[in-house]
Amino acid sequence: MDKLDLTIEEGIITAVIGPNGAGKTTLFNLIAGVYSATDGEIFFQGKRINSIPAHKRVSLGIARTFQHALLFGNMTVLENIMAGQHIRSRYGILEAALSLPNAHREEKAIFLEATKYLNLVGLGMEKDREALSLPLGRQKLLAIARALATEPKILLLDEPGAGLTTIEKRALSDLIHRIIDMGITVLLVEHDMPLVMGLAEKVIVLDRGQKIAEGSAAQIQRDKKVIAVYLGEEAEE
Amino acid sequence: MLKSIKEKWIYLVIAILLILIPFDWFLGKYNTLMIFIGLNTMVTVGLCLLMGYTGQVSLGQAAYYGIGAYFSAILSKTYNVDPWLAMLIAAVVTGTFAYSIGYLIFRLKGNYLAMATLGIGIIIWILFRQLSQFTGGPDGMSGIPYLSIGGFVFDTPFKRYYLVWFFTLALLFISQNIIRSRTGRALRAIHGSEDAAESIGINVAQFKVKIFVLSAVFASLAGSLFVHHLRFVSPQQFDFLASVKLVVMAVIGGLASIWGAIFGAATTNILSDELLLNFGELDIVVYGLILMLVMIFMPQGLFVKLKEIIVLWRARAAEKEKI
Repeated sequence: MDKLDLTIEEGIITAVIGPNGAGKTTLFNLIAGVYSATDGEIFFQGKRINSIPAHKRVSLGIARTFQHALLFGNMTVLENIMAGQHIRSRYGILEAALSLPNAHREEKAIFLEATKYLNLVGLGMEKDREALSLPLGRQKLLAIARALATEPKILLLDEPGAGLTTIEKRALSDLIHRIIDMGITVLLVEHDMPLVMGLAEKVIVLDRGQKIAEGSAAQIQRDKKVIAVYLGEEAEE
Repeated sequence: MLKSIKEKWIYLVIAILLILIPFDWFLGKYNTLMIFIGLNTMVTVGLCLLMGYTGQVSLGQAAYYGIGAYFSAILSKTYNVDPWLAMLIAAVVTGTFAYSIGYLIFRLKGNYLAMATLGIGIIIWILFRQLSQFTGGPDGMSGIPYLSIGGFVFDTPFKRYYLVWFFTLALLFISQNIIRSRTGRALRAIHGSEDAAESIGINVAQFKVKIFVLSAVFASLAGSLFVHHLRFVSPQQFDFLASVKLVVMAVIGGLASIWGAIFGAATTNILSDELLLNFGELDIVVYGLILMLVMIFMPQGLFVKLKEIIVLWRARAAEKEKI
């Protein structure tokens, strides 16, 4: 990242695009806390989060998905989503060990909440299947459901459309709109231009760790710097 | 629902078997063997949780067995502390020790972690030998009192069998409850993908330490029961070979299998007596071979593999009947 100064607006879909190596996934990792910023500050809802470790940022409301889904292969579809509810439940190892009633009550609540997200992404029929037995497109939906189960305020989607068929991409678009309707801000990294232009209300363009343009989809498509950067990439290929 | 009913029947059968075993007209002559299987199961199930779920290897687990054993022995014999209180203190000491080194060693990965656990095990074994004013040195300590409740003393193998297996089953059920809970899901998540687990808010490092502490406490409880059975404790009971045997038990039983721990402990215990007879000090070579073979050909463990084979047989038998 090189003197990057950007603000993500709440409640809308923002897309981050740019040629390969522009730093898009690095940006995600910085926001999520996987990488530590060596310089500069990160604020979330007015609070400085630089020193907050990755796993704690999730309780603050920052959730993310990975390019390669990274599902829990040793669990079923529903169990993956239930795992996402981990930080929204309380009962600990002692209550679990002794099988106390409040543990059972919370388990039931987790099950019901997870089922909601399961149905939201349309995986209701596959709930007991092994997570990795799903085709790629549906695996990515599962990854999104799992991230949603953490009840985030902002959802970072890392190339959610990669490897998807046209039909699956349409389902993904619909899902993202439903997520916005739930009041969750969406930030996505994508290479698929039609998908981005159709979805995003705001687009940020990165190149070599710097922000070179910012605006609506229409503005970005006309921006000379952006065109140059992408034409340059095509010329290289 | 069906799984629940079938499960309850299986538990009932196992319970009846376990209750009847120590009687002379049944399998009473194996009482002592069964006590050791029970004790080893207690340590193994903790090791299975640690190795199978958080993927952390421990080549020094016998050390925690030993800390439990020595603290119980020293407190109850030398200082006349009530054996039950001594057992509790031992468990707290072992757990605290595991907690303090846990955060340090779990920063290490792979081979380095394995070496760290190995190193700690050896250091503790050396301490058992060297702190002779407390531990009796290489010759060990004897004359450790029995456990008792009120006037009822656990002075025969028959009585101690029930005591040990009460604890063994308690720990097995506790482990099963944990696995089926939110904590168990977090552990399985860590096993599935540490990065993804962090991304849903799971504090991976903290969980690894928690399970490590749990496994150390399990081992400590077993160690305490061990000394009140044998009434003798010495450093060589907790050396590297002892730790290797524990890993073999865990691996044979299946690292992610709770009840497999009984199977792993049983087969290894029975095997170890035979091996000692035929190979003497070369038995460690055989253990190494077994570890390699199991990891290569059936990494889920012998127990899980056998379950798979039974399921396959049934499926084939059902097909034949259709024809």
